[in-house]
Amino acid sequence: MGVFITIAIRNLLQSKRRTAFLGLALSLVTMLLILLLGLSQGISDNLIGSATTLSAGHINVGGFYKITNSDVSPILTGSGQLMKDVAASTPGVERIIDRHRGWAKLVTETSSMYAGLNGVDIKQEDRLVEVVHLAQEKEYREGGSAEVKGDVGRLSEPNTAMIFVAHAKRLGVGVGDVITLRTETLDGYNNTVDVTVVAVAQDFGLLSNWTIFVPKQTLVQLYQLKPDTTGAIMIYLDNIEDAEPTMATLRANLLERGYRVMDHQGSPFFAKFETVQGEDWTGQKLDLTTWEDEVSFLTWILTAFDMITVFLVGVLVVIIAIGIMNTMWMAVRERTAEIGTLRAIGMSRGRVLFMFVAEAFVLGLVATSAGAVLGLVIALVLNALAIDIPVDAVRAILLSDTLVLSVTARHMVESVAALTFFTVAAALWPSIRASRLQPVTAMQHVE
Amino acid sequence: MRKVVLGLVSAVLVVLAVSPAFALDKAEMVALLKELDDRQRNSGDYNAVVFIDAKEKGKTDVSYEAVIYRRDDDDKLVILFTQPKSEAGKGYLRIDRNLFLYDPSVGKWERRTERERIGGTSSRRNDFDESRLAEEFEPEYVGEETLGKFTVHHLRLTAKAGADVAYPLLELWVDKATGNMLKAQDVALSGRLMRTSYYPKWQKMFSEDKKAEVYFPREIQIYDEVEKGNKTTIVMRAVELKPLEDSIFTKAWLESKSR
Repeated sequence: MGVFITIAIRNLLQSKRRTAFLGLALSLVTMLLILLLGLSQGISDNLIGSATTLSAGHINVGGFYKITNSDVSPILTGSGQLMKDVAASTPGVERIIDRHRGWAKLVTETSSMYAGLNGVDIKQEDRLVEVVHLAQEKEYREGGSAEVKGDVGRLSEPNTAMIFVAHAKRLGVGVGDVITLRTETLDGYNNTVDVTVVAVAQDFGLLSNWTIFVPKQTLVQLYQLKPDTTGAIMIYLDNIEDAEPTMATLRANLLERGYRVMDHQGSPFFAKFETVQGEDWTGQKLDLTTWEDEVSFLTWILTAFDMITVFLVGVLVVIIAIGIMNTMWMAVRERTAEIGTLRAIGMSRGRVLFMFVAEAFVLGLVATSAGAVLGLVIALVLNALAIDIPVDAVRAILLSDTLVLSVTARHMVESVAALTFFTVAAALWPSIRASRLQPVTAMQHVE
Repeated sequence: MRKVVLGLVSAVLVVLAVSPAFALDKAEMVALLKELDDRQRNSGDYNAVVFIDAKEKGKTDVSYEAVIYRRDDDDKLVILFTQPKSEAGKGYLRIDRNLFLYDPSVGKWERRTERERIGGTSSRRNDFDESRLAEEFEPEYVGEETLGKFTVHHLRLTAKAGADVAYPLLELWVDKATGNMLKAQDVALSGRLMRTSYYPKWQKMFSEDKKAEVYFPREIQIYDEVEKGNKTTIVMRAVELKPLEDSIFTKAWLESKSR
């Protein structure tokens, strides 16, 4: 084995220019693949981060209350007991919180817009406080200072709000200004409440564009709800990967405790109104979802991006494969006499085949490894530079204000393995042809 | 010794120089606000016809006519729009610190906040209602100033906790000679100036219920400080202090006016 690797390295070094060009091409494709995978993983991480901070737990216990068949309210009644039952029925829980949910028109002196409301008890929201960063005044107000104004903790005060930079810019408000929230209550009449902006946070991907935070009490007041109601119970697990099986366990346990639970639908709660309205039941039913269900309307971004990555890398791999085959054909042709001699002195066909395959393997492994390391370094440098994305549409797609590439060890190993495999596969046919040469014919071959 | 005396005298002079001249103390300021409130309050009922002219930058000027009904003892208020025809029947009802809007075109009631732009203009509920400055704000003396030809007290008012007001900060200029409010500025908590209002004309009439005179501004000019160029003028006419029917301050009455 070692002899074959040595021969392969010597042969590669003998054709330095050819090896260098092919190696460079392989390295660049690997680097590109690593960067694209890193970007895709970055989007995925941003999606998980923003989804589980802004709008969902790893598992969510939401639900609908129907007074009549067609009156659908996305609320949970008897939330105190339900919280206890959910806590007792869910394994592997890190923490459980509950939030009110709403949708309102935000009105200021100069503008208006619609946004989702999250009614929070800020004392429960350690993760929100930790993850969300407040913006400098100059980020949302022309001529503003570099001072970070406001305090998320003030969400403990009644009729306050934390908004994001995109809202502040659009509504023309800053910390201390007032926004009027206007919405239709569950009884069908319009109600309004004034909230004072106590914090302006940096944007947090596409989701933050339509999410603001207010105290629970503000939503209770706005929607005229009873105190023992909530919008959703959000469960955070020790391991997010366990969300699906844990949800199944929770469903079974809640059914056992006598709760009515809706069939699982992999879509966010606001997409279920029409379906629920058409169903023939009244009273309370619970709806269990994972974080992925709640942001399923955004996963197309990941799918689309992954498809582009596969297409792009696929085209490049085909080009590289043609290059490798061509190079191997040239190598076989150049070394036909040598092959004949080796065969004449007793080398088996299999060993000749292995000799050429080893050459492709060494080239592939070294070049793709170098490309993967280069990709990792570039990703680390780009992350360190925290490059701002100036275009709103691109920000929305990447779910972040800055370019984030998340390269994992798994990506690197898989990329190197896959591209080395393709290199070897591309070299296989010329190698087989080389191994099938008749020694006499090969020895008589004159270049 | 002489140097010490000179130093002390200088210090006193400096303190006097930087202090607002004839500053009002807290009790005097509260008394001033109470006086302003009391002058405008009628212990009985109040009604008036108001004309609201709204000028908005880049838009056609709009003129509204409305009738105001007030029952100050119960803190009740009705604003019923009568002109133009498209707005006739639209109205506001304030009861128990809740402001409701009725729009006959959709036949629905909506609960609005104190920041509601009455009829979409720069006016607010408190421009039409009785004055509750002493009840809703804590005063701070800024200084004695000159406003045109008038010598005025400049007060800075901060809303008390739980007060239901449109803006938490209010700058007030009160004529020292007559005690009339001449200018007011509404300020957001962020320090942003929102509105400037001028009260160039005050009128008074005798109230049988109150057994004293009731003051009201004949005209209020409101300048929108956020959307510069927008201005609303409110003119009060046909003020009457006769008793009103109880049914006026109900949703049913307001709904019936558009039928």
